[in-house]
Amino acid sequence: MDFDALNIAAPLVEFAFWLGVAVTAITLVMLAVTLVMRRVALRRDRIYLEAVARWRPLIVAEPRAAGAAGAAGADGLPRLSARDRSGFIRVWNEVHESLHGGTTDNLARIARETGLEPQLYGALQSRSFHDRVMALIALGHVRSAASFTHLVTHLHDMSPIMSLCAARALMQVDPERAAPLLVRRIVERSDWSQGNIAVILQEAGGALVSGPLTEATRTAHGELASRLIRLLAGVSPASAAPIIRSWLLAAENEHVVSTCLQVMSNAPDLDCVRPLLAHPRWHVRMLAAATLGRLGVPGDEQRLIAMLSDRQWWVRYRAAGGLLHLSFVGPERLRQIQDTQSDTYARDIITHVLAEQAIGGAA
Amino acid sequence: MSAFWAQLIVGLEWTFFGYFLCITAAYLALHYVAVFSIIDYMRDHRAEYLPQNLPDYQPPISILIPAFNEERSINSTIHSLLQLDYPEFEVVIVSDGSTDSTLSSVIREFSMVEFPEAYRQRIRTEKVRGIYASTRYPNVRLVDKVNGGKADALNAGINCVRYPLICSIDADCILHRTSLGRVVRPFLEDSSTVASGGVVRVLNGCTVKDGFLEKVDLPRRLLPMFQNVEYLRAFLFGRMGWSPSNALLVISGAFGVFRKERVVAIGGYRTDTVGEDMDLVVRLHRRAREQRRPYRITFVPDPICWTEVPSDLKSLMGQRMRWQRGLAESLVPNVGLVFRRRAGAVGWLAFPFMFLFELVGPIVEIVGYISMIVLWWFHLIPLQTFLVFLFLAVGMGIMLSTNAIFLEELSFQMYPRVGQQLRLFLAALLENIGYRQLIAFWRVIGMLKWLFSGTARSHWGEIARDGSWQHPKGAGEAGTREDASA
Repeated sequence: MDFDALNIAAPLVEFAFWLGVAVTAITLVMLAVTLVMRRVALRRDRIYLEAVARWRPLIVAEPRAAGAAGAAGADGLPRLSARDRSGFIRVWNEVHESLHGGTTDNLARIARETGLEPQLYGALQSRSFHDRVMALIALGHVRSAASFTHLVTHLHDMSPIMSLCAARALMQVDPERAAPLLVRRIVERSDWSQGNIAVILQEAGGALVSGPLTEATRTAHGELASRLIRLLAGVSPASAAPIIRSWLLAAENEHVVSTCLQVMSNAPDLDCVRPLLAHPRWHVRMLAAATLGRLGVPGDEQRLIAMLSDRQWWVRYRAAGGLLHLSFVGPERLRQIQDTQSDTYARDIITHVLAEQAIGGAA
Repeated sequence: MSAFWAQLIVGLEWTFFGYFLCITAAYLALHYVAVFSIIDYMRDHRAEYLPQNLPDYQPPISILIPAFNEERSINSTIHSLLQLDYPEFEVVIVSDGSTDSTLSSVIREFSMVEFPEAYRQRIRTEKVRGIYASTRYPNVRLVDKVNGGKADALNAGINCVRYPLICSIDADCILHRTSLGRVVRPFLEDSSTVASGGVVRVLNGCTVKDGFLEKVDLPRRLLPMFQNVEYLRAFLFGRMGWSPSNALLVISGAFGVFRKERVVAIGGYRTDTVGEDMDLVVRLHRRAREQRRPYRITFVPDPICWTEVPSDLKSLMGQRMRWQRGLAESLVPNVGLVFRRRAGAVGWLAFPFMFLFELVGPIVEIVGYISMIVLWWFHLIPLQTFLVFLFLAVGMGIMLSTNAIFLEELSFQMYPRVGQQLRLFLAALLENIGYRQLIAFWRVIGMLKWLFSGTARSHWGEIARDGSWQHPKGAGEAGTREDASA
């Protein structure tokens, strides 16, 4: 057989060989880079842990010393070196967070005596994301008015983490000035986690943010309205009540209506909830039944009983659970209601929630 | 005739080489995306920068544990789940007609009583014989049903759960205390999220105490060590690479969270496949695309679930054949997702990638090896050519595994000692010489089984486990079960 034609493949084989050599070289480079990265990370961790070990006893001891002996005990604090900065900030932030609103005067004094604030401004320019965020958190704890403009710059950062940390720090530094700025950003930033915003608002206190937040909520629509109503109801149920009422009365956007039903706490507004028991969407009926269970008055008992025969399991379940939660119904009365039901589904769901209640489950 | 054969050989060489270049380029592209995704993720989640969310903002979750003959591990799994750091969750164990003492053991351990559940069959399943509730832990329930396979057990669990998010986990998995909080994060950050999955890591070699991971280490045996490298590859760039473009096609059955109503809307898990976890994700994509509904399916790279991998060849063979079969059963019925106008990255990139490189790849690889050997054996190509192609194929495999080790260093550094890294690299080197080819061969067998025996019912794969991570001084635990796919 003549296989001369195979020579055509020779360049391919040669190419494959050199490609293999290149791949081997890349592999070795990757391995070397990985090992170097490990060495660098180990060295960084060592420096960091040394700083933490050096500063933790001093920082942790200071708040206690303040309680026992006033301002005494600060004389021995060393100057904060650039090498120790990252470890110091971490410990300082941790101690702040662990005090949960307790007195932080002595921590502030440590910050002054170690020259922390200028170091934090330096850290804000760092290339490390971690160092920048930790500096933002620390600036919030320092509560220096001078840091406000620095923090505002970071409020507009693209990263949700960075901008949320800046928002929290701003609310710690000057809540009155920061609240309108924060609310504007809440409206604009759909990538901010609702839970994180709620924590920041709660820390700041409802009175300060409810004004601008109410204004923003009044003019919001759709998804945004839903987000804002939830936040407003968390910080100021009284401010949220009229807005919730107007959305329930309009009953146009079922998503917003669902949110309103979940967060409403104003019993006089139940007149807007009762018509929703006949809503075509089952999840609205379910939430309306749950709301009547939470806030209902004696006349609502019959309405919930009617819902026990709803075609949707969840509506029946919430109606039965709602009846059980009504202070004037209770298990005994619910058993009597069960005896009067001709619908098997209604009887079964009552058996279910009674059993759930008996074992302490979530009816 | 000879010219014909010569042309055929040349054609073969070019075909295999071209395919090989394409598959490598595709994996490298995935690696490139994964590097940037992991850098971004690590930047934001290196530390807990913000205070913990208020409980009201953490959606309650129903954890589903499908179980078949899990008497050895089920109680410790439930106990460890009860210690999870999450405000509101329930645990629903589904005993799928277990023939051992799984049912009685759970009933006894958790003081369970029969519960008069108003059971509604939103998804059709095998008969549910009874539902039990714990009198000590109000958030623990047990479903006893007729055997119907893992998918059927999951569907029965979905029919019973109370909460809007469901989390399926394997009965023998170990979670971190913070796992639920991490895997649910995508749902809090983006309300259109319908599913999220986390990294599954190899438990062999680690130490577990009281249901929680106490010490992370590399497996001591070679076979689990090779799988460790595979898992790094599969999760760190296989999945992290697809997640940013919303094209993730696999969420491991061992640990994933789903929006319940979306799962019910597509009829739950399919019971006529052994790859029910992948199939579910593919169908979630397809349905959302068809309905033009905004959605996200996300991958969370934190190491949040640990599982024991097979340490014997027989179990590994069965597992890989099932996985390949599951892959085929998930892709082929959903081929309508490909190249549609609104199919997005999932229909235009991820699905064709999975089809061409994951499904067909092992066949091409094995045919390539065999043809090269045959051609060399019959002196139709010189030894030099054979060795060059082998050098390239093995070298490329080692490079991809080294990339995965690099990603691990870039991210969670679970193996921080230099010695551990060198051992990982050695495993990356060795797994490409023999092990990878063996796995490809088993995958081809899995494909052939799928081609010639039609669809299979979702069933419980059997794996011999040594369990040394849990009982350091005890005897091995043989014959426990695992899911049909990872």
